[in-house]
Amino acid sequence: MKQLIEDIAKALVDIPDEVNVHVVEGEQVTVLELRVAPSDLGKVIGKQGRTARSIRTILGAAGMKLNRRFTLEILE
Amino acid sequence: MSEKKYAVDSVAPKIDQFLKPLLVRAGFQVKYEAAEGESVNPDFENPEVVVRFSGSDVDLLLANKAEVLLALEYLTMEALRIPSDDHSRISFDAQDYRALRIEELRMSALAAAERVKKTRVPFHFSPMNSRERRIIHLALRDQAEVRSESVGLGPIRQVVVVPSDLKTLPEPIRPPRPRPENDRPRKPFGRDRDRRPPRRR
Repeated sequence: MKQLIEDIAKALVDIPDEVNVHVVEGEQVTVLELRVAPSDLGKVIGKQGRTARSIRTILGAAGMKLNRRFTLEILE
Repeated sequence: MSEKKYAVDSVAPKIDQFLKPLLVRAGFQVKYEAAEGESVNPDFENPEVVVRFSGSDVDLLLANKAEVLLALEYLTMEALRIPSDDHSRISFDAQDYRALRIEELRMSALAAAERVKKTRVPFHFSPMNSRERRIIHLALRDQAEVRSESVGLGPIRQVVVVPSDLKTLPEPIRPPRPRPENDRPRKPFGRDRDRRPPRRR
């Protein structure tokens, strides 16, 4: 799942080398913390958060197949 | 629409590069094929390239008004750096969802128009993306007594159908806030309810 978010983010940003995903396993939920270059923040969030919402939708569906909940946190 | 900008032969490899690994990583059991677009509903959409999905997880893509299918489409457009004005030139589809949805939106638009004509009460559609709002507007463009407008911003932007002479547009209806992350269904649904002793009079 980490790899999924990393791949998507890298395809969206201008500086793929600065994409970093950190996984925090919780009891109920796995939190995926995404960091990108400050100049790329807008690229992963999108207008009115649309890009971030799309990523979360895909993450949710992928999690459903694994019976596990995943949350995406985009860190500034 | 103006002349074609996107040809299958040039777009498909770029789509593959982004989408193929993504689908594998996400564990979605689907395959897809990119083809030249055909205009099934030329008044409503004229995609130049159509990407059709099939496979056992296609229902997952189409659930919740094709939420996942549209998310895949949007992210692919962004990853390919396709400007938003051109997004509608490439269309993701599965089981003819797009054509069925156009028909559904068209019918609801006409039903809403009839209702507003009779009652003169504005009708709010649920929030929709720009492509779907456009379909409502197009479906109602020849109406004399009612008109459609979009109100609200971003994810809550929604179409309202109002009497043509209405001066101020109604406020958007805000959908209820999503449940908090840790919200769980309160108590089992069916079992306890059935065990409750009959109420005395």
